[in-house]
Amino acid sequence: MDPETANGTVSETVTLRRLEVSDVDDFMVWAGDERVAKFCTWEPCTNKDQALDFIKSRVITHPWLRAICLEGRPIGTILMTRDSGGGDACRAEIGYHVAWQHWGKGIATAAVKMAVKEVFAEWGPQLERVEGLVDAENVGSQRVLEKAGFCREGLLRKYFVLKGRTCDMVMFSILATDVLPC
Amino acid sequence: MDPELKIENLPQITLRPLGVADVDDFMVWAMDARVARFCTWEPYTSREDGLNYIQNTVVPHPWFKAICLNGRPIGAISVTENSGGDACRGELGYVLASEYWGKGITTTAVKMAVKAVFEERGEKLERVEALVDVDNVGSQRVLEKAGFCREGLLRRYVVLKGRTRDMVMFSLLSTDVGIL
Repeated sequence: MDPETANGTVSETVTLRRLEVSDVDDFMVWAGDERVAKFCTWEPCTNKDQALDFIKSRVITHPWLRAICLEGRPIGTILMTRDSGGGDACRAEIGYHVAWQHWGKGIATAAVKMAVKEVFAEWGPQLERVEGLVDAENVGSQRVLEKAGFCREGLLRKYFVLKGRTCDMVMFSILATDVLPC
Repeated sequence: MDPELKIENLPQITLRPLGVADVDDFMVWAMDARVARFCTWEPYTSREDGLNYIQNTVVPHPWFKAICLNGRPIGAISVTENSGGDACRGELGYVLASEYWGKGITTTAVKMAVKAVFEERGEKLERVEALVDVDNVGSQRVLEKAGFCREGLLRRYVVLKGRTRDMVMFSLLSTDVGIL
């Protein structure tokens, strides 16, 4: 049964927590999936050693990365990247991945809303903007950010080279002032 | 061909490398608060700072030119070079001595610069972009006249001199100027 309720929110519990090396088997479910990797800069993991290496060198070391958990079990990741020096300190870029089996249930939207709230609390008031750059062809991910309350600012043409193809990217953003206080 | 994209250079305007010998001309715009207003830097106060900037930033830069009027530098224009997934784009920046504003000089320099940089780096470079402060209407006009496309307003995008600014994103593609 589709766990998404009538108003579009997920009825199963979505939580965020740190990803550990011990989560490697769950990690491989989405990290090894071409459908998940399609619009990402990385290639799918093909074996456990590769997954462990990826977790140790890129996941654990990341300044802000969380596992997206469904009923306590990791089914994806969400991360925020920020250049804390100089003029770029006011913004952070969001990225997220969810295992294919759990697409279309509002999970990524829920995770994005939670992560945005958390990161404005943690890095505010210096952090004023969270942005997301989505491939123009990645309609599903654009829907996630729209549902999470992001503003579509424009289409950046021929913006990024992804796996040998120059892509148009849609720029989305949400401001600290857009997010309603609890 | 769209007449707006046809390059009608003011013949007296040329682009050439900027060097330490140009420091006195450089200081004319570098010391001007009106020029520095939307730049990351404060107006220069010492010739030595000017020399250091030219030596350490301008000379090693992948693409940095003086905008010359009858052979004399009255401003500068540059395009950054990126690597990896960002290699398809370069960011344009320019400054012009305020005495020469409002005559179409910067627009001419921008048209010349994008043509040159697409010709030189056309294999990887597909997009020249520019971010302009929402209040810098003059600079937005330059890019519109030069044929750039206004892609959108990026809210609270960058901190400039202690204030968070909204920036307008403009771009020109190699395919926009008919260079493939």
